[in-house]
Amino acid sequence: MTTTITGFFTDTSVCIGCKACEVACKQWNQLPADGDFFSGRSYDNTIHLEATTWRHVAFVERGVSLSRQSTARPFSWLLMSDVCKHCERAGCLEACPTGAIVRTEFGSVYVQPDVCNGCGYCVVCCPFGVINRREDDGRAWKCTLCYDRQKDGMEPACAKTCPTDSITFGPLEELKEKAKKRLEELHRRGVTEAYLYGMNDEDQPGTEGLHAFFLLLDRPEAYNLPPAPSVPTKGVGGSWGMMALGLAGMVAAAVAASRAGGEKR
Amino acid sequence: MIHARKETTGREMEEEFAVLTGEAAGQRLRQAEPDAGGIVPLWHDVPSLPAQAGDYYGLALLKEPVWIWSVPAYFYMGGVAGGGAVLAAALHGKRPLRRLASWCRVLAFLGTTVGPALLTYDLGRMSRFLNMLRVFRPSSPMSVGSWSLAGTGMAATLALLQGDRPSAKPANLATALGGLMVAGYTGVLLGNSANPLWQDRRRLLPLLFISSAVASTAGVLEMMPLDRKEEGGVQRFGMAGKAGEAACMLAMEHVHQSTPEAATAMKKGKGGVLWQAAKVALVAGILVELVPGRSPAKRKISGALTTLGAVCLRFALLETGRTAAREPLAATRPQRRKMGG
Ligand code: SF4
Ligand code: SF4
Repeated sequence: MTTTITGFFTDTSVCIGCKACEVACKQWNQLPADGDFFSGRSYDNTIHLEATTWRHVAFVERGVSLSRQSTARPFSWLLMSDVCKHCERAGCLEACPTGAIVRTEFGSVYVQPDVCNGCGYCVVCCPFGVINRREDDGRAWKCTLCYDRQKDGMEPACAKTCPTDSITFGPLEELKEKAKKRLEELHRRGVTEAYLYGMNDEDQPGTEGLHAFFLLLDRPEAYNLPPAPSVPTKGVGGSWGMMALGLAGMVAAAVAASRAGGEKR
Repeated sequence: MIHARKETTGREMEEEFAVLTGEAAGQRLRQAEPDAGGIVPLWHDVPSLPAQAGDYYGLALLKEPVWIWSVPAYFYMGGVAGGGAVLAAALHGKRPLRRLASWCRVLAFLGTTVGPALLTYDLGRMSRFLNMLRVFRPSSPMSVGSWSLAGTGMAATLALLQGDRPSAKPANLATALGGLMVAGYTGVLLGNSANPLWQDRRRLLPLLFISSAVASTAGVLEMMPLDRKEEGGVQRFGMAGKAGEAACMLAMEHVHQSTPEAATAMKKGKGGVLWQAAKVALVAGILVELVPGRSPAKRKISGALTTLGAVCLRFALLETGRTAAREPLAATRPQRRKMGG
């Protein structure tokens, strides 16, 4: 039996910043708390995705109005529930030397906790800054796209709990249709800044598309997303080539050294 | 008991539902960074002003490398081992340089056995080190490197045991082949990460690591007692390496102009200081060597300076990479520029 490829479509235009997804994820995945950090300035007290934080709601407070919204002064909030993107070509997966990171039958990118040895290479190879190593157990952790729940035919905890359906889960192809319809709808209503981020290969050739893609209302940078991320292993051939060149030089130097000493007398 | 009460209302929670059994269940609360007084973690400044266009409150986009001091220390040792292995193979069978060749074999052996120990020390879970050899993944420079390191370690041990006998030629050649990989792959490894500073220099880093490996091997050898012939050989080898290293460091700085955001990481903080120190030590080492006349003291000072420079260089690369990862504009601006907008 072939399983369908599934994913997330996160429509940030309906997110209300309630953080229910963050809590549901922590509860289902039994992730420990992050300490009592509160900036007291932005509503974002999670700050970024972490080894123990697999959903992060970003709060962007801007002095800019959104189309079709009127405020006394130019002002708007952008909210986005961020998550591991489960890239079609994933930097973490291609970098992992132990094979701990695998692609599941649902198309998601999964870290097998019993294989990861904590080398930390995936951490520097994720172009989105998602995965990280935990200090207390030394392994790398990130969103599993609720692999365990999917195995039992359930949807991921965050999508299940999201009260506004900002996070939708389902077969990737259906999600893409849904996303395109939603974008058209928003454009028709005059929200011209809306666009889809990372939906497929054309949108984001560097990763060949994301299994968790987004509808955004500002440039990716505003949400701390890279505008044109790319899997780091894409250019690895050039580096190996330069290395070979350097090594030829090294051999030449060694041969010259052996001559210098040996032939003089 | 519970069952009796359950019968009375039917609404009690099942006790087992509260038991945590998953992979992550044994974990503790993540501690806030101690250096921030235990309250505010690494993101000290969350601005109260509205977000600026172009970034997310200046907060880091990428993750910093998690590696500790033992990784750059290994980078240095791996370089010395690689240079030693190649030189040992070139010197094999050259009678007058026998002593030098055996020192080179010792360097190759130490680097490929102590080096992995340093690497293992950095792993979050040392017990799982063997997982490195569970798969071979050509797309991952770390996987390629782990295999070459393991193979070279064995070859270097064999070469050391066999010594200078003519029959040891294959072992010496195998060690040299592996040593070449060990000296070079670390540059490929750093360059093919998502770190903006390293990624932009992905073609330079392998050259830098290799030339610095040559220079640091010579640096170590220069500090040993050498006779005239040995000194001549080591100096030739070292000069090629030092010239290459200096050229690569210059080129590293030249790339700065096309990526100024990442490049500032090489000018500030710990990384900046280490980078400057590496430059100064390297140049000083070259200058001392160029002083006319020959004396063991001069040679040893030059060797020590070269070694210092090579060590500083490895630590500078890690530290500047850390700083670059903390700067979101270093990641986003070059991508925007490439997109032409
Ligand atoms: S976002 Fe990062 S951690 Fe997630 S799949 Fe892509 S490369 Fe891996
Ligand atoms: S830290 Fe674990 S998951 Fe990440 S690359 Fe290393 S072995 Fe793979």
